[in-house]
Amino acid sequence: MLELFLAEFWRSLLTLRRYPLELVGAVVTLSLLFYLLFLGARFLAGPGAEFGDRLEAVLAGYLLWTFTLSSYNSLSFGLMEEAQTGTLEQVFLTPYGPIPLFLVRNLADLLAQGLLVLLVALTLMALTGARLVFTPGGVLPFLVVVLGGYGLGFAMASLALLFKRVGQVLGLSQFLLLFLLQAPGSGVFLFLPLAPGAALARRMLAEGAPLEAWSLGLAFLNSLAYFLLGLFLFRGAVGRAKRLGLLHGY
Amino acid sequence: MGDPLLEARGLHKRFGALEAVKGVSLALRPGEVLAFLGKNGAGKTTTVKMLAGLLLPDRGEVRLLGKDPARDPWALRHLGAVLEGNRNVYWRLTPLENLVYFGVARGLSLGAARRRALVLLEEYGLWEKARVEVRHLSRGMQQKLALLQALVHDPEVLLLDEPTLGLDVETALLVQERVRALARGGKAVLLTTHQLSVAEALADRVAIIHRGSLVLEGEKQALLSRFVGEHYVLELEVPPPAEVLGRLRALGVEGEGPFLFRGDGEALWRVLEAVRPLPLRRVAKAEADLLEVFLKAVARA
Repeated sequence: MLELFLAEFWRSLLTLRRYPLELVGAVVTLSLLFYLLFLGARFLAGPGAEFGDRLEAVLAGYLLWTFTLSSYNSLSFGLMEEAQTGTLEQVFLTPYGPIPLFLVRNLADLLAQGLLVLLVALTLMALTGARLVFTPGGVLPFLVVVLGGYGLGFAMASLALLFKRVGQVLGLSQFLLLFLLQAPGSGVFLFLPLAPGAALARRMLAEGAPLEAWSLGLAFLNSLAYFLLGLFLFRGAVGRAKRLGLLHGY
Repeated sequence: MGDPLLEARGLHKRFGALEAVKGVSLALRPGEVLAFLGKNGAGKTTTVKMLAGLLLPDRGEVRLLGKDPARDPWALRHLGAVLEGNRNVYWRLTPLENLVYFGVARGLSLGAARRRALVLLEEYGLWEKARVEVRHLSRGMQQKLALLQALVHDPEVLLLDEPTLGLDVETALLVQERVRALARGGKAVLLTTHQLSVAEALADRVAIIHRGSLVLEGEKQALLSRFVGEHYVLELEVPPPAEVLGRLRALGVEGEGPFLFRGDGEALWRVLEAVRPLPLRRVAKAEADLLEVFLKAVARA
């Protein structure tokens, strides 16, 4: 399995090295999107408006969104691309089985995801003047959120596997993701996917709050539950695709 | 020949109202090439996908070295496949990168996959293009690479769906020679193709599927002999007058010259009597080829 991880990691690095413009394009698009929203909000609020800590909180939520976004939709886009380019069946011929392979693939893509978020963060901090507090402990809630993101990603990939073209649904559901990542991490929101981990990460990044073990534990349980649910759904979708003959290109 | 490496028993598959595969049983032994033939929509691809564990049969079972590939994915370590209609390899990677990646994805270590990839690229004449992205390669090279992708982990069983489609003559011959060599080396090869000349050149056994059912299966030579005994070819130096032609038609002779006659040796004398005294150019026993076997088997079904 380690060899498979290394091969996937190497493949991810190759893509990054060979097609750097894709990364640059993503950084520019994501930075521009936030910056335009920021400018729009400032225009509406008037010239003397000060956002205070809220800007940092919103930016932290936005960065979480960009980080979670790729964990959420990379598997679905990957499956759609494999179906389109005619490699889907070959991927399913791996003796490791599709779920371990896609899990490893997700892990291997973390570096590229992290690089993307770091570049977007630096760009937006420079553009908006926001100051975020990066601490080593701050990585943990990010990873917890990403775990939940993978769960939702596997659930969405189930649809991609069965229906192949789910680009529109993916596009729309990204805004739902934005809501989940900006939601408070208490009360009923504790049970929504990603919300508790995202709230903790926001507090740490925007307010410099210390890492709370209890909150982290709850967020982890939440993400783990959605992760397992995602795997369960994907496993069902693989079985259904194999029964209905849906493992093919289009 | 040893025990079958790949065995399918009573495979059934239905898609809605369409019964795509009906009770197909196949066995593939080490060292043999089985040509699996059928028209478009006959059930070839559905069967191949069930053999590879990509499609679950409604009934029946598949055993790959004794294991069910749909339930025990590690059995797929012993299988390599080129699937028609697919590119089978990543276009953004080079041939070397593809082979290393697929080698590892099929269970090899990184080092072993790289060593094997280099050997294969050299052996199949892709060495010079080893570091060129696949999207820049010719169709023939991509097809060759698809075959190498199936071979990289040195599997015992190969499912090759149209492996020579789109190849130039030279490359097609090279691939044919390699497939023959792989079989000689002990691999079991299931070859699905519409190019019957390729199937005839490579196959030890032939299985013909029509409307989801196997309509013919057997050793290639035995099938060719079986179908050859019934045909004679007759050629005349001059076109026969209408009266002679009428007599020939009454004896069941078909064609317009060369004429084709189905019947035994005794009946042939009656045909020869019917054309007397017209000058003969040739009378010969027809040589059956796989095309003829295929057409007859399908027509009978």
